[in-house]
Amino acid sequence: MSGILAGGPVIPNFGTGSHCVTHNDLFCADWVRDNWHGVLEPALVQHIELSAKAVAIGFAIAFVAAVAARRARLVETPFRLFSAFVYTIPSLALFQLLIPITGLTDTTVEIALVGYTLLILFRNILAGLRSVPEDVLESARGMGLTATQILWRIELPLALPSIVAGVRIATVSTISLATIAAFVRPIGLGYPIFIAIGDDIFKTELIAAGVLAVALALVSDVVLVLVQRLLTPWVRARAA
Amino acid sequence: MIRKHTRRAAKAAFCVSFGVAIVLGGLTAGALSAPKAQPTIKLGSKNFTEEYVLAELYKQALQAKGFKVESKGSLGSSELADTALTSGKINMYPEYTGVIVLDLAHKASPKTADATFRAAKAFEQSRGFTVLNRTPFFDTDSVAVLTSTAAKYGLHTISDIAKFKGTFRYAGYPECPIRITCGLGLTKIYGLKNISFLTIGTIPVTTLIDQHKADGGDIFSTQPELASGKYAVLTDTKHIFGFQNVVPVVSKQLVTQLGPKFSSTVNAVSAKLTVQAMIAMNKAVAIDKKSPAAVASAFLKANGLK
Repeated sequence: MSGILAGGPVIPNFGTGSHCVTHNDLFCADWVRDNWHGVLEPALVQHIELSAKAVAIGFAIAFVAAVAARRARLVETPFRLFSAFVYTIPSLALFQLLIPITGLTDTTVEIALVGYTLLILFRNILAGLRSVPEDVLESARGMGLTATQILWRIELPLALPSIVAGVRIATVSTISLATIAAFVRPIGLGYPIFIAIGDDIFKTELIAAGVLAVALALVSDVVLVLVQRLLTPWVRARAA
Repeated sequence: MIRKHTRRAAKAAFCVSFGVAIVLGGLTAGALSAPKAQPTIKLGSKNFTEEYVLAELYKQALQAKGFKVESKGSLGSSELADTALTSGKINMYPEYTGVIVLDLAHKASPKTADATFRAAKAFEQSRGFTVLNRTPFFDTDSVAVLTSTAAKYGLHTISDIAKFKGTFRYAGYPECPIRITCGLGLTKIYGLKNISFLTIGTIPVTTLIDQHKADGGDIFSTQPELASGKYAVLTDTKHIFGFQNVVPVVSKQLVTQLGPKFSSTVNAVSAKLTVQAMIAMNKAVAIDKKSPAAVASAFLKANGLK
């Protein structure tokens, strides 16, 4: 208090780092424990949000485009070319191109991440829809089903394995790509990595954030496989 | 039976994924178009420890007073941060007065800290920005020697290096010998004859001094190693290193819109940032690996600013 009255600052005891931390040993579990709530957990949550939003929005766009392409071939080539073109833009360059338009915002990050999911999702959804045998469609029409009914009852269930395969690839690649969102916004698991390689390479933080990103990708992949199984019970029924 | 089940499951799955997509899309759009009563402070920083700490200090103090602050994170070098500022991507970031004058305005170094501050302020005001009060601390290159060496030869100022017996091996970055703010200043302005330069690669200056490979070297005045008391900093009586106090650079418009409470909140933080305070915080982040947010929070609370 005397410090405040005198005008000078009070310098609190910030605590000292462990031997492991101050010597920058390979991996300091104590640092991870101390910084889980402050650094790693929020980064992980942000990373999940970033990736989930990107895949969800990308899926919505690719789904509509693929269904349209299935009905009218005219749609296919332009969308395929567009998504392939976006896919080839280096991610860092795409961020830089978007910054003048959308600024240093989450929107910039999401536009880029969504852009990279389009090609994979579009191709897989369309391939799935196309894989439905013509005689199956023929019988459906023969039974008097409308085009919409055929889409929901015949084409989509049969296309599911291909669609989920696309979502799996898109999810894993988005989780990996989302680490460089830290170039635009201080969010996601890329940010602790960015900080760790900044001044001097702080190994613990680098490894912790990197391992979390890999673990997130693996867990998401497993979850999607389980979702696919849940959605296609006939596959197992047939096998049994 | 199976077919019906399948149909429902598939339909449900697509409804759910569509629902999720629409809700998430809506959330993003909603967050973007939310009406703003008070302008948001878009705070950026440069890419090193001291700047991370400074950005957290200003951010948390402002948030505690109810201001809306969006952290834009690290933007890179001064030039990049300046571009982000002038293009409106950020409207506030902590910068060094000497850097503004020498590197951004490309002017010669003024003779005092006060003159440097005024020159920096004049430059920023000429283009729609302004600077708030400067911090008491300054982070500039300085000459460090072992405390034992200083005691042995009676070294207090840089001129005292002349009293050193034999050749004074000075460790510095590669450009040091040709910069007036480094080696060239020592030989030309201080007229020191007994100096030899040792270029550092990836080994820190302090390590070279510790191992007696160098007698002294170029060190930042708020470098955490100085907290140990092992090193003495020689006074730069001829000011070859310039003046590098920190000032928050802010857009004029923001200062007007947010009113005097904004400036007083920021100035109250800056006023507490002495050299000792900054060294302690840099050490906590760079060496003890505490997060800049936690260190800034502890400091603000201890000083009644949060």
